[in-house]
Amino acid sequence: MSTATLDARTPGDLGGLLDFEADDIRGLLPHRWPMLLVDRAYNVSPGRSGYGIKNVTINEPFFQGHYPDQSIMPGVFIVEAMAQLVAVVYASAWVLEARAASQRADGDGDGAGTAARVGYLGAIRQMKFSRLVVPGDQLTLHAELGKKFGALTPVNVQASVGKELVAKGSLTVTERSAGGGNGLQ
Amino acid sequence: MTLGYAQLLDQAQARSALNLRVKTLLVESLGLDVRPEHIGDDQPLFGRGLELDSLDTLEIVVMFEEHLGVSISDDDRAAFGSVNRLVDFVVADLGEIPRVEALA
Repeated sequence: MSTATLDARTPGDLGGLLDFEADDIRGLLPHRWPMLLVDRAYNVSPGRSGYGIKNVTINEPFFQGHYPDQSIMPGVFIVEAMAQLVAVVYASAWVLEARAASQRADGDGDGAGTAARVGYLGAIRQMKFSRLVVPGDQLTLHAELGKKFGALTPVNVQASVGKELVAKGSLTVTERSAGGGNGLQ
Repeated sequence: MTLGYAQLLDQAQARSALNLRVKTLLVESLGLDVRPEHIGDDQPLFGRGLELDSLDTLEIVVMFEEHLGVSISDDDRAAFGSVNRLVDFVVADLGEIPRVEALA
């Protein structure tokens, strides 16, 4: 749907909100099973903010050991899901930029290669967990990107199940430069 | 314009207080294992100085926006030389030495 959604938009129009299904997200991120932790993204304002959904089932591999007699989603996986939503938010902006650039150059670039540019988690600046996440829960993720500084972007993130807050905090994410490296200096 | 002695003293005290406030903010927000008053005004922040890294830079950017209402952009990297450079940037950006008592 993202390709369709993106195609339908005027290239360079960064103002509208986009939705991404799981298949679209695989086109944006390098993550795959069992580490792709965003099932759907919606109301994504490319480069700015967005919402995501992670459905938690008993089939998640981590429940095997966390714990054998009590299934709890590890907090770091919640943070990872948040970070992946952040990657969707900024990678969607790259796709739009690439589309706009290729249209100007009259080329046929499709914005591919965003997965290779997705960077790393630079810092968990602050995070507070306020509710256990168990099989059957639907995590709603929210991310708001701050002002970019070099290859680093501060971001405020939040996860909830229904109206209950699960975790809230702020992260730093990096963007990999074209020349490789991890975005850190 | 020449400043009278009282004004000069007032400015120097305001600047000194602001430097200490910035040092305290650095220690608190970066979790540094050093007392604020032991950080030199011209001590380098990176490398052998305070041993900060690029992730700390972003922390300082966010902290300055929150506490001082000053926005440091990617073009202002020179401001990260030392506490004095950071405070110079704040003073230049605000157009005056902010009073520590009035800061968040």
